[in-house]
Amino acid sequence: MAFLALDNLSKRFGTQTAVDGLSLGVEKGEFISLLGPSGCGKTTTLQMIAGFVEPSSGAIRLEGEDLLAVKPAKRGLGIVFQSYALFPHMTATENVAFGLEMQGIAAAERARRVADALELVGLGAFAARYPRQLSGGQQQRVALARALVIRPRILLLDEPLSNLDAKLREEMQIELRQIQRTVGTTTILVTHDQAEAMALSDRVVVMNKGRAEQIATPLEAYEHPATAFVASFLGKTNLVNGVAVRPERIAFAAAGLVGTVRTRIFQGNHWLYQVDTASGLVTVIRQNTGDAMPEEGAAVHLVWEARA
Amino acid sequence: MSRNGPLALAYHALFVVFMLTPILVVCWVAFTPEGFLSFPVRHWSLRWFYAIGRYPEFVSAFWRSLGLGALSSALAVAVSVPAALAIARHQFAGREAMTTLFMSPLMIPHVVLGIAFLRFFTEIGLGGTFAGLVLSHIVIVLPFALRLTLASAVGLDSRIEHAAVSLGASEATVLKRITLPLVLPGLVSGWALAFINSFDEVTMTVFIAAPGTETLPVRMFLYIQDNIDPLVTSVSACVIAITVAALIALDRAYGLERLLVGKGSHGR
Repeated sequence: MAFLALDNLSKRFGTQTAVDGLSLGVEKGEFISLLGPSGCGKTTTLQMIAGFVEPSSGAIRLEGEDLLAVKPAKRGLGIVFQSYALFPHMTATENVAFGLEMQGIAAAERARRVADALELVGLGAFAARYPRQLSGGQQQRVALARALVIRPRILLLDEPLSNLDAKLREEMQIELRQIQRTVGTTTILVTHDQAEAMALSDRVVVMNKGRAEQIATPLEAYEHPATAFVASFLGKTNLVNGVAVRPERIAFAAAGLVGTVRTRIFQGNHWLYQVDTASGLVTVIRQNTGDAMPEEGAAVHLVWEARA
Repeated sequence: MSRNGPLALAYHALFVVFMLTPILVVCWVAFTPEGFLSFPVRHWSLRWFYAIGRYPEFVSAFWRSLGLGALSSALAVAVSVPAALAIARHQFAGREAMTTLFMSPLMIPHVVLGIAFLRFFTEIGLGGTFAGLVLSHIVIVLPFALRLTLASAVGLDSRIEHAAVSLGASEATVLKRITLPLVLPGLVSGWALAFINSFDEVTMTVFIAAPGTETLPVRMFLYIQDNIDPLVTSVSACVIAITVAALIALDRAYGLERLLVGKGSHGR
């Protein structure tokens, strides 16, 4: 029996089906991502676990207990929202202390745990600040500390890094992963960013139109996509004569599929090529090794390894 | 540092002069020693300020107006809060109709309301009572209270409340600790705007008020129908002085812009 089990979970809004018969087992301590484009039902799924949306049918069990029978306030889940949703009229300390106060934790222990939580996210020095006096990244950390301090049974992250700029997002990904490893909380991340899902998760659930297209480790989903949707959603992919080939698996060679370089883009650590061939436009990614590469307009031959 | 051109500045200056001149003239005339309204004033006297003491009904009308404004505005805000939260948060049958109903007193001429309330209150035994005044003033100030309350309720991110719920807060706790503090700037602004409208109201109130329940504007209106002496100017001067003092105090304490425009910057 899985730690958290979603059993044939569905949600219909009028005639729209947001989530369609989703079944998923999450193990204790696991980091799992619900990944998909907007409208795929990932956020609705998260909200059903949190209790803000009631499922049309299906069941959610946490440690064998029927979660749907438990009020949202009693579920003991930590949630971090994309908009941070900090209490603007409270300091960082007061924000983090709120959940402990609701649990009736004594003031002394509360203060100690709040200080620990803020320290964990590296905000010890900002305890007395109000949210508007903090940067986006700092607000996100306060939200994370606020969710973690109550020692939630599950940590739910709803696009938590989407509002941060690219560099900060990458830093926060690494940090989030470390913090999750440290505290060991079972975590469900909702994201539309495939790179983020792959970087953070033990397993990804690739969702499309309310259904799970594939539930697998990031590597497995990337290397062996179950459907064409998964293949196209997880990074770039070429369909050459009906065979899906990743751009980085294609190499230039002396003989092979004949083509002409249409565009060539230098991206620092790699080159991005678009090559016109008899089988259509093919995207090729080659590592930058410092060597000279075919120029635009050059005639090239493409080869790739056939993979199972 | 000015971003306005000389023409715009001149226009603004003219506008301010146009607004302020009548107020200044009233204050000036209040200091006349003459027994009639005269302008310009050549000699100075506090005669008409002392005269207010001989008309205790002006003083009691002032306190009544103050109490009426404070009470009806507070009750209007109390009604506005649940209404605003419902309108801002939920889709339900009759939502549009409810909003329109609450806003409708804005569209109805106060003279019509006055006649209607006069008939109605006489019918149900509230004619000429303070309770009747309060009820009728709630109706006319409600749109102002609701507008600003609604603005702050709509601006509230429901995920903030969801976050509080997920942390274990009951609905009552969320309302008390999260929702109300966050809409408070809107409530205060709504109350202030409602109070000003109630304090100022004469067209409707003149129909409803009876001797003994007259508000200050009604008392002044009735007085100048029979008298042409400068008493009303000294009364006006006192009201203006109190208003200015109150505005300065409020500005020091909260910042007027925040209060009247409803710009809520939370916490401190």
